[in-house]
Amino acid sequence: MSELAVLLGVRKRFGDRLLFDIERLAIEEGRSYVLTGPNGAGKTTLLRILAGLERADAGEVRVRGAAVYVHQHPYLFHTSLRHNMEYGLRCRGVPAAERRRRAEEAIAWAGLGARRGTPPANLSGGEKQRAALARVRALRPDLMLLDEPTSNLDKEGRAQTLALLAQLRDERRTVIVACHDQEVIALSGLARLHLDEGRIQ
Amino acid sequence: MDLLEPTRRAFALLAAGDPRLLEAIWLSFWTSLVAIAIIAPPAVALGFLLAKRRFPGQRPLVVLVQALLSFPTVVIGLLIYLLLSRRGPLGFLELLFTPSAIVFGYVMIAFPILVVFTISAVQGADPRIYETARCLGAGRVRASATTLWEVRFGVAAAVVNGFGRVISEVGAAIMVGGNIEGLTRNIPTAIALETSKGDFAQGIALGMVLMVVALGVNIVLALLQGRLR
Repeated sequence: MSELAVLLGVRKRFGDRLLFDIERLAIEEGRSYVLTGPNGAGKTTLLRILAGLERADAGEVRVRGAAVYVHQHPYLFHTSLRHNMEYGLRCRGVPAAERRRRAEEAIAWAGLGARRGTPPANLSGGEKQRAALARVRALRPDLMLLDEPTSNLDKEGRAQTLALLAQLRDERRTVIVACHDQEVIALSGLARLHLDEGRIQ
Repeated sequence: MDLLEPTRRAFALLAAGDPRLLEAIWLSFWTSLVAIAIIAPPAVALGFLLAKRRFPGQRPLVVLVQALLSFPTVVIGLLIYLLLSRRGPLGFLELLFTPSAIVFGYVMIAFPILVVFTISAVQGADPRIYETARCLGAGRVRASATTLWEVRFGVAAAVVNGFGRVISEVGAAIMVGGNIEGLTRNIPTAIALETSKGDFAQGIALGMVLMVVALGVNIVLALLQGRLR
């Protein structure tokens, strides 16, 4: 398996506190990872650095291909569900027919076929999370960075999101899930990364 | 003073479609709409930039635009008068006392309103909008357009406010338009003139039109916003 992303000597400060100092971290292609650690350890910051949304203070971040970050509370545009699914495809210039097909597939994958007519703002927390996962998956990014996808969800929402995470794992997508949800951590076949006191274990 | 009689006559004028009334109403509407159509795109774009981007001189610029907001329209009228007057720098255009001069004035008055309201709409936008768009692969321009689209009701409110302000504006219109009957007499200047002549019926009729316009645009806006929530 080849390395999709490598962090070398990546250091990040938060004010005058050292958030983390990662000597070496390699993310292998086609693997799902779960990134655990206490609140404030820098899990979100690490994901955002991998996605290119934030810069490290020092070190080298090498990511082969596109890395897409999904916010803990994902934002769905106030348009239609399908338009949300097509957004990134449109940005990449995917032709209309293909765009439509992939958007439909994404809606089906998220199990939101019955909710297609609902304004995205009116979807439940779990439905929004699934829609956001499907929206990113439809882009087939090289690396998916999911920030606490099961937090703030009810039992049913968590179970459904968990099932999608298991599917991503089975599809051999490269995924990093930051979370401290025991059910996600317990998913089989996930490599574990633990960020604590500034180091990856 | 008897209010009932002129009010009754005002309704009669409106019902009969008095040509002087209709001329003033028509002029007010088209000059306001044209002015807003001209200035809305650049003002909204500038409002977006001032809300989103940090650059040197940005703060003073915001303060300046906010100050323009409370600038007396008569003074704006005076400035445009000087610009457009025969010996002014733009005198060769021969625009003074034409509807175009009124449009010019409206553009200047609407500009700070649109910019300031757009700034507040964009600053109130969820920061996740821009970031989500960028994450999904949008370039800066598309992500900005998406942000504006997501706060479209705020931007619409800016535009409606600008329209409401200019259509009821009297200072600049009277200065640069000249209040010429059949050419540059619009609703507010006609109200001012008819009232000073003692013809209250015309004034009341036009006043009612303005109030209906104000009420109408605000109802539309409230309905749109209600649907969004």
